[in-house]
Amino acid sequence: MIEVLVVLGAVPARVAVLTDALTQFRALGVTVRIATTFDPVEKIPAVTELAEVHQLPTAAQLGPRFGRMLKRANPARRPWLRAQRDPWIRRHAKRADVLVALDVKALHTVWQLAQRHRRADAVHGIAPALQAVQRRSADPARYRRHRLSTIGPSPTALTSTTRSQTIDLAKRVFDLSTGKRAMQLAPVRWFWHQAVTAPGVPERLRGVAARRVNRSMRRAGHRDSANRLVLAAQRRMRSVAAKGQVLSPMVEAELKEGQLPEHLKTVVKGQLQMAEGHLKKRRTGQAAEHVVRAFDLMFHRNLHFDGLTSPLAADPAGFLAPLLKSEVGKALATPQGRRTPAEFPPADRPHRMLFFTGINDNFIGPILDRYEATPGVEVRRLNLVEESIRPVLGNGRMRLTRHRLAGSSEHARRVQEAWGADVAWADTIFVDWCNLAAAMLTMIDPGSARVIIRLHSFEAFTWWPHLTDWSRVDDLVFVSEHLRDLALAAVPRLRGPEGPRTHVIANAMDLHRYVLPKPSAEARFMLGLVGLSAVAKDPRWALEVLRELRRRDDRYRLKLIGDELRTSLGPGVARYAEELAADLAELEPTGAVVRTGRTEDVPGALTDVGVILSTSVRESFHCGLVEGAASGAVPVVRDWPFFAGRAHGARTLFPSDWVVSTPAEAAQRILDVTASEETWREAGRAAASHVLGEWDWSVTHKDFDRLVLEPPAATR
Amino acid sequence: MTKRRPLWDSWKRSRTRRSGSRPHMIYLAIGFPPAAKSSTYRMRATANQFAAAGWDVTVVTIADEAWERDYGLDHTLVAGVDPRVRVVKLPLFREDLETDVRAYTERRALDHNDYLTELREQHLKVFPEPVFGGWRPALEEAVLRLHRERPAELLVATCVPYVNLAATWKLWETHRVPYVVDFRDGWSVDVINGGEAFPRDSVSGRWETKLLTDAVAIWNVNEPISRWYRERYPELAHKMRIVRNGYDAASIPAESIPAPADRPLAFGYLGALNLPVPLLEAVLEGWRKARAADPALTDATFEVRGHIGSGWARGDNRHAELLKAAAADGVVVGGSVPKAEVVDFYSRWDVVVLMVTGGKYMTSGKVYEYMATGLPVVSAHEAEHDASTLLSTYPLWTGAVGLEPDALAGAFRRAADLARNADVTERDKARVDARQYAREEQLIPAVREVTELVLGVGGPAGTAPGAAADAPALAREGGS
Repeated sequence: MIEVLVVLGAVPARVAVLTDALTQFRALGVTVRIATTFDPVEKIPAVTELAEVHQLPTAAQLGPRFGRMLKRANPARRPWLRAQRDPWIRRHAKRADVLVALDVKALHTVWQLAQRHRRADAVHGIAPALQAVQRRSADPARYRRHRLSTIGPSPTALTSTTRSQTIDLAKRVFDLSTGKRAMQLAPVRWFWHQAVTAPGVPERLRGVAARRVNRSMRRAGHRDSANRLVLAAQRRMRSVAAKGQVLSPMVEAELKEGQLPEHLKTVVKGQLQMAEGHLKKRRTGQAAEHVVRAFDLMFHRNLHFDGLTSPLAADPAGFLAPLLKSEVGKALATPQGRRTPAEFPPADRPHRMLFFTGINDNFIGPILDRYEATPGVEVRRLNLVEESIRPVLGNGRMRLTRHRLAGSSEHARRVQEAWGADVAWADTIFVDWCNLAAAMLTMIDPGSARVIIRLHSFEAFTWWPHLTDWSRVDDLVFVSEHLRDLALAAVPRLRGPEGPRTHVIANAMDLHRYVLPKPSAEARFMLGLVGLSAVAKDPRWALEVLRELRRRDDRYRLKLIGDELRTSLGPGVARYAEELAADLAELEPTGAVVRTGRTEDVPGALTDVGVILSTSVRESFHCGLVEGAASGAVPVVRDWPFFAGRAHGARTLFPSDWVVSTPAEAAQRILDVTASEETWREAGRAAASHVLGEWDWSVTHKDFDRLVLEPPAATR
Repeated sequence: MTKRRPLWDSWKRSRTRRSGSRPHMIYLAIGFPPAAKSSTYRMRATANQFAAAGWDVTVVTIADEAWERDYGLDHTLVAGVDPRVRVVKLPLFREDLETDVRAYTERRALDHNDYLTELREQHLKVFPEPVFGGWRPALEEAVLRLHRERPAELLVATCVPYVNLAATWKLWETHRVPYVVDFRDGWSVDVINGGEAFPRDSVSGRWETKLLTDAVAIWNVNEPISRWYRERYPELAHKMRIVRNGYDAASIPAESIPAPADRPLAFGYLGALNLPVPLLEAVLEGWRKARAADPALTDATFEVRGHIGSGWARGDNRHAELLKAAAADGVVVGGSVPKAEVVDFYSRWDVVVLMVTGGKYMTSGKVYEYMATGLPVVSAHEAEHDASTLLSTYPLWTGAVGLEPDALAGAFRRAADLARNADVTERDKARVDARQYAREEQLIPAVREVTELVLGVGGPAGTAPGAAADAPALAREGGS
């Protein structure tokens, strides 16, 4: 009787195919035994009914010493190390006529068994196993004869064992001498610094050693030594990818601390170069992992959100050059276009509008309300947090990246399945926020629907605009000119021939609800700041203004309205919060500063505020300021530093007399306008009249109507 | 009509034939019978037609054992090869399809996938084709040796594999042997996804340009691919010719009759199962829905015959699993069918199902055979597909409905209706219309044209004009 020993290194993906083969073996009268690296009863119960199935001994069963050895071994050798110690395998391998590796993880075990049992056929796959059995059945006499060359283990097996033991030993020595404990010793650190930075070391070896030693030095608390080592090692390297890998831990540590790393670009370039290597070989999955890693570094929140500056805002083209100029960047930017241009709906039926909602609806409420009440418009909401939709968004960034790199993906089909019916129904699709949902929508052809996306502010500092296929977007709406400038500089293809039309339309704000009387004349001494939850709001600048004022008149006070900073967001935020707390500890006990915390009744909270501040380093529009101005408070706006001196910014958005550059200038403006109750009330009235006439939804809805209800103009 | 260039004339004058009257042609046809590949029929017919046109044909292919690892062997094909055709089999194997673990190094056993990646990288260094690139030196050496043994007046290279082009170039470069590139599905055109497979300035692009520039003729299988090449190389447009795959008359039953009402309908698919998984899923889902919805399909069967997977994954891939799981829906799975038995399958099926990947650049050879059967055809491919163009005039076609299961279910139901109700007259008309796609009809003019271009009008000495017309009879011998 023919005996077959099958080894499974992984749970088979197609159990039905395996059971079918086992049935065929059984019909041929063959005894099949199966060894698995996993629990067969749990994972492949159907198979256990057709063959004797045995699990290789686990590390727990073989003891802690074996466990440690297993951990150190090459993962591909682990099944064999377990099989080697298994009497069941030894017994049945000796008797087997055919040894079968059913998957690549079982190959090495079968190869080793084949070297030791040389009379057996050793094959990879089910069909070759069936063929081997058929050959043996057809000519059993041939296989009964023992040949000298098949007696005893193969010399290859002996060589292989010796070699692998030697390699294991060398690895162990390397691991010990470069481990955390060894790095506690200064001479060892000195030695490895010299070894890693010595001339003539092959680049690959230098890279491996530098990464390992660097990691161990950091874990041992010798960060300066680690930094010196990687800086010296990378100077000896030629490949940007290798340099990037070596520098990566240092750069990551600096980013975590909120610093702008000097070598950030090198690490980013390295990641993109590795991605490019994979991309050339059409390994988009692996390429995407490196691209996402580069995104994480370039758009790290500590660089752009949790500090008072942003390298991207300062020089968008320069900062993003490694991405935009790379082959990967070009692949991401490849437009897929649409089969048909967007069509404006015919007049004889309602205009169908689809709004993406559910994740952040803070700014879309009045827009939805308006069009839901507009005759001749039918509104549908695609709720992104619905059970049926949510899975589509899962792991979205990675899936999008893979899709953009490959130009197609299985996930696009799932998006089509989930959203296709709504997209096909719509004449106009409006997506507020240029983030995941917007980018994912552009994975599919929108048919004849017109796609409108609104980009507020934070998105410009993220990867999302780089993952959006702009050839499938018809209109891109910004809430201010300076954000349009920034986005166009950061994403040059927005200006390309296949890019969308761009528009600036202010946020939809119902400002009339803020128009309430300020009964007390004393309100003119109360400064107000609405919104504190981001470092970018820079409330400490407001405190500087307050100090300036109080040096001259201690009746001035400051009211802070809004949530506190979330220190858990990062060290930059924590550092700022700590400094703010110290300022407040000085000013709050005297009553100079009042904190209300978060309130639902902002109009009420503003009735005793006479001067409304915008102290931010960046804003797209600053609704809080405009709402304060609508309440009759006099606006004082810092010339937002991210945009100061540019073609557009706070100075072009607001009347020029509202905008100041320094706390001293701000204090002077406040002293001037609050010199008397009359001047203050007059300035407040003028500001309220300006904002209500410019930015109240009753005015700005006309811009929106023009955008969505009228056929688009041909120009971009 | 291909434009004659004076340069050809100079070659013709200078070329002398060593033995007798028949000129010698080397045909690089990896996949020649008995390989059970879909392209094998075209290769066999090409060799036969050249032999019939007066050429001594030496076919260069690879060892039979190599095909056992790949798509298998069909020895019934060999009988249909013109006995004058000499076949040289090189001991070349696809190492990536090796399933004997004893032949592996320990490194390969430890990291099979990395090994394969490196293997492909090594091949790419030799020639820009990841699987076959490494065969370049052996193929070059083989054609040079054959030419030394007996000088060739012509070389015809059929691709894939594209590495044949390297050997073709070698013989041109060293001995100025004129050549024809039977490009079939082309190279720089991505027939699956549409568009460009690689730019002109890539390594592959430079090879393609170089080879096509000096070719005597360039053959493609359909108009969209030929158009692609005409637009890509307008200066070479005069050399382009469409040589459709066509069908082999011996595979076609003598008649097509409506299915009798007293037995369940039999649907069939014949061909390699290397389709995209979503396509197969959609077809099986459409079939399940149609069967559930239409009483006419209650006991109907859908027989799927063809090779599934290769190497270690033979019979063990997602396709196999899906088909096994569909057994409850009357899906019957079998292995590949020897060419000689194809006619029996068409005789017992009532409807044929055309599952094909790709889009506007893809035709498939199967569509001609399906049309010639006079059976109703269910199309399971993208609506914008070259098969749709051909089938648009076929009266028993259920239309290009795309790959939505509901639409496919509708197509299956329409096909069931046609299978019972389309009368013999309608079927006969369909069969007569399809005759224009008989393989010999496609090849004879192309072979004659090349012969005239290389040897001058009149063909080889001693060969009567129109001798290629004898070839159909040869091709039909042996049931091919």
